[in-house]
Amino acid sequence: MHIQRITAIFEKDLKDFMKNMMLLTLPLIPVVLALLYTRMGEGNEAFPVFLLYIIVGTTYSAVTSSSMMTMMAEENEKKTLRGLIQSPATMMDVIIGKSLVTGLITFIALAVSLVIVDIEPFLNFRVILGLILLFLFFLLLGIGIGLFTKSIAATSVYLMPVMFLFGFTPMFEMLGLNEDSIALKVADALPIMQAIEIHHTTSWIPLGIIAVWVVGAALSMYVCFKKTMTDE
Amino acid sequence: MENAIEVTGMQKIFGSNPAIKNVSFHVKKGEIFGLLGPSGSGKTTTIKILTGELSQTAGKVNVLGEDSKQFGSTGFKTKIGILSDNSSLYERLTVYDNLKLFCKLYNAPLKQIDVILREVNLQEEGAKTVSKLSKGMKQRVLVAKALMHKPDLVYLDEPTSALDPGNMAHIHRGLKKLNAAGTTIFLTTHNMEEATALCDRVAFLHNGELQEVDSPNALRYKYSTHAFHVETFGGERLVIENQAENADQIRELIASGQVRAMHTDNPTLGQVFLKVTGKGLV
Repeated sequence: MHIQRITAIFEKDLKDFMKNMMLLTLPLIPVVLALLYTRMGEGNEAFPVFLLYIIVGTTYSAVTSSSMMTMMAEENEKKTLRGLIQSPATMMDVIIGKSLVTGLITFIALAVSLVIVDIEPFLNFRVILGLILLFLFFLLLGIGIGLFTKSIAATSVYLMPVMFLFGFTPMFEMLGLNEDSIALKVADALPIMQAIEIHHTTSWIPLGIIAVWVVGAALSMYVCFKKTMTDE
Repeated sequence: MENAIEVTGMQKIFGSNPAIKNVSFHVKKGEIFGLLGPSGSGKTTTIKILTGELSQTAGKVNVLGEDSKQFGSTGFKTKIGILSDNSSLYERLTVYDNLKLFCKLYNAPLKQIDVILREVNLQEEGAKTVSKLSKGMKQRVLVAKALMHKPDLVYLDEPTSALDPGNMAHIHRGLKKLNAAGTTIFLTTHNMEEATALCDRVAFLHNGELQEVDSPNALRYKYSTHAFHVETFGGERLVIENQAENADQIRELIASGQVRAMHTDNPTLGQVFLKVTGKGLV
């Protein structure tokens, strides 16, 4: 890792992000969703945690994964990634530089959205740790898919399953499925559901399960990056 | 003289298709070396192996004293510059921002940006967004990107394609200057005039095999028929072999005042390439 190279990639990506209208509009999605939430329900009732996590899931899938996927796929499609790989920047320099931009945009979108609805349930060390692990999971998933897809147009094909499977998992609860159904059991093991579980237990197991998802996403990202490094 | 590149028995096989067949050559430090060949001859594969983008199936490749296993290291990458057919720029950013990124990645001083922009005749375009540049201008920015950090060795894959003669000459002067300062240049080109003007030595690659390696002039002499071509004022064209017994005939022709033009038969590099490979540069 080299701070100057990471900073150079961060600066470049931030400038590029600010000139990319498609990416600039993504952070508005969770904010608009949060504003719509405030119009729902009656009086000063607290929002159910699973509803709040739909905002979290939307932010991480529509902002973190989507922007990372788009950025990596564009680098791949326009062949600029090859320039970075041929330069002295390491794989970690490229990923960290890009992730800092995505992290900054995600943090702003998530903080604003949660402040609009109700940030209180998230002001807890274990919950914040869960949010950080979730961010890493969606980030690594975005990088891996972005490297794999090779074109911006193809990212939308992969973004849909990411959003519906990993981002909107809490909605599975509203489908009226039998509690013993396999679909619900599988959904319960997905990262967002484990993050919700953190609010209902003092156990560290949900954090451990999310960490396993993070490791899985990191491995798939590593394989995709290694494949991109050469033309073999 | 020490060698910048040493290739011994290099082979590259894709599946069951051999792309490079037992190729050996070397490039001396401080030399401008041209790899010439038609499309599909294996030029790009060779450059990719020399830059570490591909690994060879067999043989030894050594660049700047480093074995091919070290081509991914930061230290190695700092010493080389690459302009390949895969090189590209960030279209939404300005020329200056593009070069600033690579200046920082290669740890080169930022003042180098203005210097290199002058070298490629783009000193007025630094603030322009890349997407607004012409194809030729983009090509010159790519050349600037490859040379900006003053590498020990630079790979240039068709560096002057898409350039008009004026800017091509400008780039050639810049490359000569860089070479005079000690940078070794390895270039591929379809332009035989460019190879003749720039290269100390050239290699002909055809169907993955190296056919000839020598200086452009040595190759031209080697494939010359050494005959004299004479054109008379009467429109007659004579070919006279360069042999002692023909000296009187040539002397008589000149004395008669009939000779409009006379020249030796030195083929161009392009004609030599055709003779060697039986194929044009497509």
